[in-house]
Amino acid sequence: MKRSHRINWRGYLFLAPATIYLTVFSVVPILLAGYMSLHRWHLLKPDRPYIGLDNYKALFANPFFINAIRNSFVYVLASVPLGVITALAVALLVVRPLRGVGVFRTLFYVPAVCSQVAMAMVWIWILMPEQGLINYAVGLMNEALAGLGLAHLGSIPTSTNFLNEPGWAMAALVVMSLWIGLGPRMIIFVAGLQSIPQQLYEAASLDGCTGRRRFWHITLPQLAPTTLFVTVTTTIAAFQLFTPVYMMTKGGPQRTTDVVLYHIYKEAWQKFELGMASAQSYVLLAMIVVIAAIQLWVLRRGLTTEEAR
Amino acid sequence: MRRLTRYFTGVFAMSLAGLLVGCGEHHDRDEVVLRVANWGSPAVESSFMKLEREIWTEFEALHPGVRVQIEQIPGHGQYVPKLIMMHASGSMPDVIHLDASSAAVFIDNGVLRDLTPFIARDPDFHLDQYFKEVVEIARRDDRLYAIPLDFTPMVMYYNKTLFDNAGVAYPKVGWSWDDFLDKARRLTIREEGAERPRQFGFNFENVMPFWVLWLWTNGGDVLDPTGTRATGYFNSPASVEAMQFLVDLMTRYHVAPTLADRAAEGVDLFLDGRAAMDLKGHWMMIDYRARGLDVGLVPLPTNGQDPTTVIYEAGLAITANARHPDIAWDYIKYVTSEDVQRRRVASGLAISGNKLAAAHFAGDPVEDAFLQIVRYGRPPWGARVERYPACEDLGREMMEDIQYAHVPVPYAMTRTAKLMDALVKVP
Amino acid sequence: MIEATRRRNRYSANLLTYAVLVAIALMTVLPFVWMFFTSLHERNAQLPTMGNLFTPEGWHFENYLYVLTFGELPVWRFAVNSVIVTAGVVVFQLVLCSLAAYGFARLRFPGRDLIFLAFLLTMMVPAQVLIVPLFALVHNLRWLDSYWGLIIPYPYLSTAFGTFLLRQFFLTVPRSLDDAARLDGCGDAGILWHVILPSSKPALATVGAFAFIWTWTDFYWPLLASSSTTMRTLEVGLSVFSDAYGGTRWPLQMSAAVIVLVPALLFFLIMQRFFVRGIARTGLKG
Repeated sequence: MKRSHRINWRGYLFLAPATIYLTVFSVVPILLAGYMSLHRWHLLKPDRPYIGLDNYKALFANPFFINAIRNSFVYVLASVPLGVITALAVALLVVRPLRGVGVFRTLFYVPAVCSQVAMAMVWIWILMPEQGLINYAVGLMNEALAGLGLAHLGSIPTSTNFLNEPGWAMAALVVMSLWIGLGPRMIIFVAGLQSIPQQLYEAASLDGCTGRRRFWHITLPQLAPTTLFVTVTTTIAAFQLFTPVYMMTKGGPQRTTDVVLYHIYKEAWQKFELGMASAQSYVLLAMIVVIAAIQLWVLRRGLTTEEAR
Repeated sequence: MRRLTRYFTGVFAMSLAGLLVGCGEHHDRDEVVLRVANWGSPAVESSFMKLEREIWTEFEALHPGVRVQIEQIPGHGQYVPKLIMMHASGSMPDVIHLDASSAAVFIDNGVLRDLTPFIARDPDFHLDQYFKEVVEIARRDDRLYAIPLDFTPMVMYYNKTLFDNAGVAYPKVGWSWDDFLDKARRLTIREEGAERPRQFGFNFENVMPFWVLWLWTNGGDVLDPTGTRATGYFNSPASVEAMQFLVDLMTRYHVAPTLADRAAEGVDLFLDGRAAMDLKGHWMMIDYRARGLDVGLVPLPTNGQDPTTVIYEAGLAITANARHPDIAWDYIKYVTSEDVQRRRVASGLAISGNKLAAAHFAGDPVEDAFLQIVRYGRPPWGARVERYPACEDLGREMMEDIQYAHVPVPYAMTRTAKLMDALVKVP
Repeated sequence: MIEATRRRNRYSANLLTYAVLVAIALMTVLPFVWMFFTSLHERNAQLPTMGNLFTPEGWHFENYLYVLTFGELPVWRFAVNSVIVTAGVVVFQLVLCSLAAYGFARLRFPGRDLIFLAFLLTMMVPAQVLIVPLFALVHNLRWLDSYWGLIIPYPYLSTAFGTFLLRQFFLTVPRSLDDAARLDGCGDAGILWHVILPSSKPALATVGAFAFIWTWTDFYWPLLASSSTTMRTLEVGLSVFSDAYGGTRWPLQMSAAVIVLVPALLFFLIMQRFFVRGIARTGLKG
């Protein structure tokens, strides 16, 4: 234990490869984007006047950008807690030493292994009115109810146009994110659960601590680093939602799924305003930083396990 | 762990070997590589790709020491961004396929070379062999930035079988909106109590490049002639009237699928033989032939104006930073030549930009009908206005607002025109 | 008696678990059933309906052959590229991340936490805008259209993600093991190699799995970084069945998607062994 309080200069050596790599391929481009955000920057026009903070002023006066921020928050607030909780719940199931859980773990992972573009196409079908999987299932349910002589309970419409009704479209994107993200998040939780020292459970059962209490007093605290990780990275990924919007809703209906990154994409590649797009990226970055900082603070126990141990 | 390590070491060694192979391939010193970018053929038949490869091989045979490297950029909306990045970073190919509907950003930003000097000093090349309406798309004053490869005007297709079954006369050149609506009504088949018709008179798809022509056939437009303002044009009485007519087809007369109908069907109803008319370009002929649909085609119906239509074109352009401009010119000349073009357009993809090649298909009723319509064609706004593709997005959103949020047409168009103004105004 | 009741309870709890697992599995797998059956429809067919999904006019297994031989595309080359690029990225990231994660989790030096936060920051910037400077950088390194360009500057796969994940797991490895190794004469590198890495196998497999799926299924970076057909990955090379204008050959597109998916699934079945062994070793009880 003493050792860990001494300064170990070799730390820099271990960090060097990743740090150099990130500096070249990430930090420098990020700083360049910051530089671009202070200019009126069209990739093809040699004239790139310095305009100070005008891009930032303009974007806060832009109701569509504000709308995009709001949409992103809605998506994050809905998809992150649901995503983390469902993944943890499923992880607790598949970590049990049951016959064949390995198969289930692999099956749950399948959606993440498929390309996002193909996934978006599959989900367009799932969400279609009438022909789509969900509406078809609803139709079957209606028939079953009618078959049981319960037709008087009424039937649910099978024409819900999920991707074109405000409210539904965002909900559909959230459900899709749960579906795609379940496997990866679950795997991280499984790895986390597996690294909880077994002695802790053995000691606990000697003290007569079982079931639910064991979960709250051992599993959850020991899982804190994992939970922190999953929460923070899920949040970051949620703020960077793009492909499903681009492929499935194009920001519609009535701009209810026009999230920040989609807005940035259009700014950069439809309007060719790279300076403005960079400024918007910085605003997105600032939002993520604030949210992540809050999460790191709330879940700070997960940053180090010294106290827990 | 050891197994995992051994496994990864194995793959790593493999990848290193791969890197070496890859490097060896890319530096052949005495070879001139002519780089040509295209957006990938639409999902045409395999044989078309083989034909294209043959054409490149023939060109290589005619130019010893030259290798044609085709750089396909497939995927939704990836073509323009990647080319822009390539230009900005100095890695642009020598020749690019130029899509008329997004050509302005390249033409007006010095990405392309003026081709008039090449034409002037090449006695074998005759610009008058190419369709004038199409050549003009890539012209700025006396400078020309692309040679037409192939193109298509948007036309009204009709399914002859469905017309015959309903006993409705085929549409004729010079028909009006009223004729169109009358035919569409008689071709719409609705069963008692059904939620929507089994067969529609007209197939509608909410893609602004497909529906903008309705404004033109009523004397309206999207932008003013200088391309810097939409207010007063997109929301002019003529434009609003055209849009109202179009919307009425869906929501009032129900002779065309509403956006909700279209979403529920999920398929191209015309291709499925369940819609009698459709407004599309030549590329659809590939599918219609594959399906054995018996189709005819006519110019658009009008409301007392010309049946103005839009020409969508693929041109070939030489980039400003091309390493081998002269070979690039030879390539363009070769690919757009009569003989090569004749083989290329036989696929049904489009009409050859070369009139001599197009003439080979005279006598084919479909091709003749297309050629009749070319003279009503005008360039798409995207060939003139850099941010017009963003305007087209606004148009699609507007149609959604009208149908799903029940925004009144005049109000929706005025609102959208204002948003377009902000996009296209000169800073 | 009590023993019997407990066993019965456990039995019914297991049954319930299985029921839930099967339900979730159905939800995750059904779309792929649809994908597979759609790929067997006639290649020019439109989107199948529920009515004809399982009863197409003939089973067109030849679609797969058609996709694999389409326009004489070098599909094998695509596959080899995908393997090389994916393996390259996985190995590269694992090495980089585990070194850095060890530094963050175990060593104490000035500025450590600040650097860690900076790492996290790089994960939070969306690739949409960075792609422009990155593309220029890769061009200036003369890496466009080469494996270097496809592997090294992978913009979506953040090294920060892997480092963060591994750090979190390294933290849970008891320090007493380090001290024991140190007494045996191990240095930091020795501890990382002999102590930390072997006890973090599930975490390493997880980071590897993430790197794998991001790279294998990615479309945008390989599209940008490669120009010639011979440098395409499977995902990009086989994307020719939906054109730039939104037209889609559903059966062919889905055949292509299945072709890209199957090797990845096989890989995961292999990886599964590492996850499973992790359980067996720790002997976690239900």
